Amino acid sequence: MNDTRRTRAVLGVLLLISLAMITIDYRGGDDSPLSALRGFGEAIFGPIEEGATAVVRPVAGAVHTLTGAPSAHKKINRLEQENQRLRAQLRGSQIDKRRADQLDRLLGASGTGGYRIVPAEVISAGQGLEDTISLDVGGTNGVKPDMTVLSGDGLVGRVTRVGPTTSTVMLATDAASSVGGRLESSNEIGIVQGTGRRAGSALKFQLLDSTVVMEPGQRIVSFGSEGDRPYVPGVPIGTITKVERPSGSLTHTAIVRPFVDFTALDVVGVVVGAPKKNPRDALLPPSPPTSPPIVTVTPSARPSSPAKARTPRRPKSRPAPSPTSRG
Amino acid sequence: MSRNVLAAIIVVAALVLQVTVADRLPLPGSVVPDLVLLAVVALALVNGSLPGLVAGFCAGLATDIVPPADHTIGRYALVYCLIGYICGAVAGEMERAPVLPFVAVAAGAFAGSVLYVLLGAMLGDPRARWPVVSHVLPLQVFYDIVASPFVVWAVLRLTRRAERTRDSAGLDPVPGFHRAR
Repeated sequence: MNDTRRTRAVLGVLLLISLAMITIDYRGGDDSPLSALRGFGEAIFGPIEEGATAVVRPVAGAVHTLTGAPSAHKKINRLEQENQRLRAQLRGSQIDKRRADQLDRLLGASGTGGYRIVPAEVISAGQGLEDTISLDVGGTNGVKPDMTVLSGDGLVGRVTRVGPTTSTVMLATDAASSVGGRLESSNEIGIVQGTGRRAGSALKFQLLDSTVVMEPGQRIVSFGSEGDRPYVPGVPIGTITKVERPSGSLTHTAIVRPFVDFTALDVVGVVVGAPKKNPRDALLPPSPPTSPPIVTVTPSARPSSPAKARTPRRPKSRPAPSPTSRG
Repeated sequence: MSRNVLAAIIVVAALVLQVTVADRLPLPGSVVPDLVLLAVVALALVNGSLPGLVAGFCAGLATDIVPPADHTIGRYALVYCLIGYICGAVAGEMERAPVLPFVAVAAGAFAGSVLYVLLGAMLGDPRARWPVVSHVLPLQVFYDIVASPFVVWAVLRLTRRAERTRDSAGLDPVPGFHRAR
């Protein structure tokens, strides 16, 4: 009897503490007094996570191998072909140190775009409904909050919190994430909204100009934020797969398939130095031949987009790298 | 080893496994089991409601601050604390109903997920919207039930072994079990 009473008392006290914490943290927002607790958690669990990741990596790798066997076979074929092509390229004339490797593609992307990046490995992923990951780089590596995170394929997300040796990244698929996007080879901008990795990793894209028609197959790059934080310009985001117009809405919504496979993130890069010059569409992969011709239909006569004239989609010579972009 | 130390070790192990392995598993539907919730349910079933609710609160608070957590601090603490209390309260019935652990895990998983989502909806969390939740919730409960025998079994076994080593000086819990040695 006495024991039940004590149990209830403890339950009541702990529930009150939880509610108080929720209230304080919710009210405080980003600079709530409780964020010190998170710093504490980072200091304690960061090293444990790093160690655990090193131990369990083979396990996760085995599961990936099992679940991804059919696609892995295709991938191996594709990579072998690519390897052949690259070897031929190498033998030809240009000696390119690009290998068919994730990290190298990442460095390649940063070189083309003129980004200065810190390479990082994913050490853990968020629980429940949130699409977050933590990386094994932190404040000591020059990472600060609101920096862009990308992989060799495209945009991954942005840094939200930084610990001494770890940092937390909100993925672009998170329902709380919105990224400024620009339609490929045009100046039409819109907002890319996440819908949750757990719900199928699709993104939603809404153009600000409701009169512009979007087509499946068009691709989206990041528009870039003011001062290049949190998003630098020119990072590929995804391809439009479907355009729908919700009833009662003035604007069209496009469903976007991201370039990045958010369920198999491993090596990513944190952009610590933004490019001097907007790379526009330079980072997009060459467009597939089967995609419909990309036409931007606008009702008003518009002079041909200056972007098209200035930057070809696949520049033969890389844009002059800024002095900071030494991969 | 005392029960509390063992419980703390189990919670930390479950949490680290959760964020470094489980949350990154590419399972069908991209939903993963909640190992921390399962560990809390198992600890409550083994140790009773007071240790259960304390373990739940601590596990929840740790889940709230472990990187890369990005939600209001206290959400998981509240949910796991309640689940620990409720599962501990029915633990006394375990001898009479052998299927109870599995029912408790299923009910606990469902109640925990629903409670967490409801709290999120109350706080205006954009992630706790119906299209996402309706996809995640059933799968989450399913995976929790699939994973529960392993977690409950591991926790039961660890606790029993710890108790055996502690009791071996005195009375054997199972008569004749240690006589062979």
